[in-house]
Amino acid sequence: MTSGPVLSVRDLKVEFASRRGVLRALDGVSFDIGRGEVLGLVGESGAGKSLTGAAVIGLLEPPGRIVSGEVRLLGERIDALPERQMRAVRGRRIAMVFQDPLTSLNPLYTVGQQIEQTILAHLPVSRREARRRAIDLLKEVGIQGAERRADAYPHEFSGGMRQRVVLALALCAEPDLVIADEPTTALDVSVQAQIIALIRKLCLERGMAVMLITHDMGVIAETADRVAVMYAGRIVETGPVAALVGAPLHPYARGLMAAIPRLDGDRERLAQIPGAMPRLQDLPRGCAFCPRCPENFAHCHVERPELVTRGEHRVACFLYGDGLADRAGDDGAAPAPEMDGAPGEAVP
Amino acid sequence: MSDAFVRVDGLHRSFDVSRPWLERTLSGRPRETLKAVDGVSFAIRRGETFAIVGESGSGKSTLARMVVGLLTPTAGDVVIDGVSMTGRADRSRRKELRRRIQMIFQDPFASLDPRWRAGPIIAEPIRAFGLADAREADRQAADLLRRVGLDPADARKYPHEFSGGQRQRIAIARALAPKAEFLVCDEPTSALDVSVQAQILNLMRDLQDALGLTYLLISHNLAVVRHMATTIGVMYLGRLVEVGPARTLFAEPRHPYTRMLLDAVPDLAMTGRRRMAVLGDAPNPIDPPAGCAFHPRCSLATDRCRAQAPALRDGVACHLVD
Ligand SMILES: Nc1ncnc2c1ncn2[C@@H]1O[C@H](COP(=O)(O)OP(=O)(O)O)[C@@H](O)[C@H]1O
Ligand SMILES: Nc1ncnc2c1ncn2[C@@H]1O[C@H](COP(=O)(O)OP(=O)(O)O)[C@@H](O)[C@H]1O
Ligand code: SF4
Ligand SMILES: [Mg+2]
Ligand SMILES: [Mg+2]
Repeated sequence: MTSGPVLSVRDLKVEFASRRGVLRALDGVSFDIGRGEVLGLVGESGAGKSLTGAAVIGLLEPPGRIVSGEVRLLGERIDALPERQMRAVRGRRIAMVFQDPLTSLNPLYTVGQQIEQTILAHLPVSRREARRRAIDLLKEVGIQGAERRADAYPHEFSGGMRQRVVLALALCAEPDLVIADEPTTALDVSVQAQIIALIRKLCLERGMAVMLITHDMGVIAETADRVAVMYAGRIVETGPVAALVGAPLHPYARGLMAAIPRLDGDRERLAQIPGAMPRLQDLPRGCAFCPRCPENFAHCHVERPELVTRGEHRVACFLYGDGLADRAGDDGAAPAPEMDGAPGEAVP
Repeated sequence: MSDAFVRVDGLHRSFDVSRPWLERTLSGRPRETLKAVDGVSFAIRRGETFAIVGESGSGKSTLARMVVGLLTPTAGDVVIDGVSMTGRADRSRRKELRRRIQMIFQDPFASLDPRWRAGPIIAEPIRAFGLADAREADRQAADLLRRVGLDPADARKYPHEFSGGQRQRIAIARALAPKAEFLVCDEPTSALDVSVQAQILNLMRDLQDALGLTYLLISHNLAVVRHMATTIGVMYLGRLVEVGPARTLFAEPRHPYTRMLLDAVPDLAMTGRRRMAVLGDAPNPIDPPAGCAFHPRCSLATDRCRAQAPALRDGVACHLVD
């Protein structure tokens, strides 16, 4: 095994060709995930979280396509593999967990059969060994009476138990990376807590890399080691979870945290971010958050901020340097000149 | 409670969830009923926000629909401003009452007719209740749009031209249109992003302050409920297990289920406080556990809990709390 990151994404750009021109849905997304690490990808709906997951795993639906950038799994590029090879990567080295467990389960087979078949498809083991491993996996994900429950069908499980089964299925081929897209969003809070604990445990014990996609900062706070906050197809801030949740820097990340009602809070009003995330076809020219940002200034309207380093954070906002030294001390990189126009701008 | 504006009295609602007759006959299965709401009582004072919180399937929506009169209770009554929602005697007064009670749903897209423009959507109840002629109704609709933070010019747009948060604003404007006093809001922000949720929750508060509205707020989100409510009721499998002032209920939870729920909420402050592990899943409501329905998940359960259902006494339904 290499010592580098399990997953490395560099400057990923995804576009959709539409009648009204080309829409850029992901614009320069970069991140790494290491062994035994959970990276939380958080943001509101439409930010591009699922698209990032789909691009990594080669499941972008046409007309969506990767137009530039790199995706590396243990150092090896996987963004331009032929579909046949990509399918092998998907089943074997990257597993996917979705919000609705039923999308990953076949209603016509018992959960034991499904896990056994998946093991047999990927690993050179006997039928008997596959059965044994299936039951071990069901035990590992916390299914009580696994020997018996292996013979039950998906509909005989509750929502939370089904998501456990899906996790067992994801582990079959001992993947290097698990991409979990809103895995607890459809679950009740008490069940969510159990699934969160399980994902953390599996990640640590098996040393997998986990990309956890969620809109819920609470889930991030409980599960992630590092966080990337997305807005309008870009990462606007990344950092270790405690720094990001405890002291976010980007005005969007700060606004998001302040908008969340608290259990202990007796605040009269919630801080609100005006407006809504722009649609891809009307992304503003400068900083995409600018129209909603309480701190925007002239420069934000004309240029797009790039990520710069600020302590433990990387943040894409002109409040944090890049030549505007009078507003904030800069310790980050120089601004990258933009040669290819504003993000998402319709290109005929 | 004599100053109650809304009184919910021993409400029950069962659903027949039996298999089709033929299948039942062949397999010898009995009829099955599901008690979605199983004896719920509470009172809401005028101008208050009473919130019901609970996990899915606990009976919140069924309760809400009975309170607004969309669903007939199997037993029990709802009395609003002295008028019974079920009694025969109050039939004529009930019609007037219907105007004063409105409901807001989780999915504003499903609750707005896609073929109507926003203006007519809001003006319709004003006309339907005979409160104004068409022209005056349109004028009031424009006022209402402004009141909920939209532009009167938005009256000409169709629902699909609005964002989710804007649609929920339209649903609120429509609910207010017949001069409603009591709004039953069933998960009003659950489909919205948090930045938009904050806008809607703030709007609901502003409207309450300005118009003296009374809310019954239904939500599965404990923090939303804590933020909005004056009084909170916690539901589990069709029953209220704990009721109390918002300020103290979550700070000093007494029912083990309330405690478990609070411990399950992700810890945004990342204090690393020690929390009770959550046990098991909610049981099947068709065949609920005997005694206290929470006992299979309760670490404190005794023989008495397994045999006898605790009544709600002094705000909590638990044998171990006195
Ligand atoms: N097939 C498509 N055609 C055009 N735009 C799309 C398509 N699929 C997704 N998008 C756009 O890509 C953006 C990101 O979507 P997504 O990744 O699903 O967001 P998230 O998961 O963060 O909610 C959205 O603006 C969405 O409208
Ligand atoms: N029309 C119906 N027929 C049969 N069962 C129903 C019906 N409506 C609700 N239920 C059942 O009643 C219980 C409570 O449902 P609901 O009131 O929707 O709960 P909540 O809103 O708290 O999620 C659930 O078990 C649900 O399946
Ligand atoms: S770059 Fe400007 S507009 Fe964008 S978030 Fe920072 S201050 Fe706000
Ligand atoms: Mg998504
Ligand atoms: Mg409901």
